[in-house]
Amino acid sequence: MAKLTDLAQALVNLEKERVNAIVEDKLKKGILPLEIVKELNDGMIEIGERFASCEYFISELLYSSHIMKEIMERLEPLFGQTDLSESGNIVVIGTVKGDIHDIGKNIVVTLLKNAGFRVIDMGIDVPADQFAEKLKETGAKALGLSCLLNIAFQEMKNVVDTLRRTGIRDRVKVIVGGQPTDEKVREYVGADYYAPDAVAGVKICKEIYTEQ
Amino acid sequence: MSDEIQQRFEERLARYQATIALEPTDRMIVGGTGSNYFAEVYAGYTRQEIMYDINKWMAAESKFAEDFPEIDMLRSGRIWAPIFDSVGFKLYRLPGRDLPANTDFQFVEGEWMKADEYDLLIKNPIEFLMEYRLPRVLGELKERGSARSYMAFLKGGMAYMLMAQVMRERVLNLEKKHGLPQPSQGVILAPFDTLADGYRGLQGIMTDLFERPDKVLEACDALIPDSVNCSLMTADPLKRYPIFIPLHRGNHPFLSPKQFETFYWPSLFKALTLLLEAGYTVRAYLEGDWTTNWHHWNQFPRGKILCDIDNKADISRAKKEIGNNVCLAGGILDRMFIFGTPEEIRSRVKELCETAGKDGGLILNGGCGIPYSTKPENFRAYIEATLEYGKYSDTVKPKLKKAPPPSVAKIPSPRVITPWEVKLKELGGVTGDETLIKGIWQMSEQRAFCWLRFWDW
Repeated sequence: MAKLTDLAQALVNLEKERVNAIVEDKLKKGILPLEIVKELNDGMIEIGERFASCEYFISELLYSSHIMKEIMERLEPLFGQTDLSESGNIVVIGTVKGDIHDIGKNIVVTLLKNAGFRVIDMGIDVPADQFAEKLKETGAKALGLSCLLNIAFQEMKNVVDTLRRTGIRDRVKVIVGGQPTDEKVREYVGADYYAPDAVAGVKICKEIYTEQ
Repeated sequence: MSDEIQQRFEERLARYQATIALEPTDRMIVGGTGSNYFAEVYAGYTRQEIMYDINKWMAAESKFAEDFPEIDMLRSGRIWAPIFDSVGFKLYRLPGRDLPANTDFQFVEGEWMKADEYDLLIKNPIEFLMEYRLPRVLGELKERGSARSYMAFLKGGMAYMLMAQVMRERVLNLEKKHGLPQPSQGVILAPFDTLADGYRGLQGIMTDLFERPDKVLEACDALIPDSVNCSLMTADPLKRYPIFIPLHRGNHPFLSPKQFETFYWPSLFKALTLLLEAGYTVRAYLEGDWTTNWHHWNQFPRGKILCDIDNKADISRAKKEIGNNVCLAGGILDRMFIFGTPEEIRSRVKELCETAGKDGGLILNGGCGIPYSTKPENFRAYIEATLEYGKYSDTVKPKLKKAPPPSVAKIPSPRVITPWEVKLKELGGVTGDETLIKGIWQMSEQRAFCWLRFWDW
């Protein structure tokens, strides 16, 4: 990766005040908010890399999201109607019905966004037919199913069955992940991929869109 | 209790105590899980029925004990839902109330303490709880000073006492009717988890690590004395059973090893050391993957702690790295119980009995529990294989341990709202036997105080 700008580096170093100061300075100089966001995205990509190599942990990941969130609150009103989602690579993701846990899913969402995907986060406790509808509506080729509880295995299987029933199974790759999952669970559920961690999930999404 | 049941109870308890102490036993513990979710649903009741109807809960446990008489202990479920309803506790979604009747209860992540409230918590935890946190987490208190809010305190207090009675009845049913001891009694949370779970929330605490690290440390230390005292109040007075601690955010990759050593471990170590000094053992659920951090458990005295190892970590590695100092539980993946086969279970049990478990100090279990959707034939295979391959000796007969003498010198005095001395002054002295009045006054004050902390998570 090319050398990071001062702004991106400040974000990677988790220096919130410095990030804020550089952003304000750039705005004063008339630099477009979209340009600023691009620099910050480079920083977020580097943070994702550091998380992947165990140099950073969820603590750093969540803190960087916190810094980004505050900056975006500052920048968003300045965007006007600009569409920020540039990528056509869509990932639909959610925690399956019966499970309301979302920490793991949110980490995957952060990393996917950092990696340039357009992420449709369905939230928690999502019924199978809603996944199917959203996949039809958006044409997404990747579906991430998350769970923390082992009671969710059956529901994950139900989602895959629903995709089959509604005739879209063949055009969607299904990834399962979450604390109690493993390769055997993937097999039971009938999914295409098992992601042992958030970083692996992002890698799989990249593979899905590269293959296609 | 018949002599036979009493004898069975004592044998099982002695086996459990010896296993935790890393002493020789006759065989491996069977069904030594701290959370037998399978037992909750095996009899066919819904999760809602178990959480709301104590008779069904007890009937479910009896049915399980009768159908699997080989198990050495039983604890199914931990929530008696009416206490949550009494005050409108917002941190859980419950089956039959907010979720389908047959879905597991679930924790609701949220921010219940603001970033600028650390000093209030550190300097005056009671004022902080009463004025700020409880009105946020207890929905029935939303209109402060209203009749409904006063009633909520009353109902919540009544429910607290009723719950203690319900739990006592359950425990006695298992002990007297089925000769089954408890895997734990009494509970404590790691100070960092208290902050992270029910106070600041995950996003909040992770932000605080960077923006106000000193306050996090001060708050963790400030929480220790009350956490310890309130857990001692609910622990087994005879000190037969370990005190339970579920550990939530100490695993990889929530915190870096350095953050773990700085923020998570010191206050946890201090709190658990106080419990050990009070004569208790501890059963800790190392939830998630603790591989990078579990070596810290070697700092405790040998044979006082039982660590449950979760699905994501390797029990054999845990045995090598901490198994000489703490007893371990785990080794059978949840999914094996759920959709594995009896042959798979048998083969896994055999493998562990011949390797990690061959010298004792290991209780075969799922990842911190036996899953709800366990197939009965898999649980049966687990029992039979453990009995077949987990035998150590025909001659060793562990003996019940006597409760260690109290060494509570280092334990801070329980905090209360109105100490007896204050009340006595207000009364201007008493005319009769002061001890009669003082004893019950203090006990009520201490219990009421712990009621305030009951809503931590």
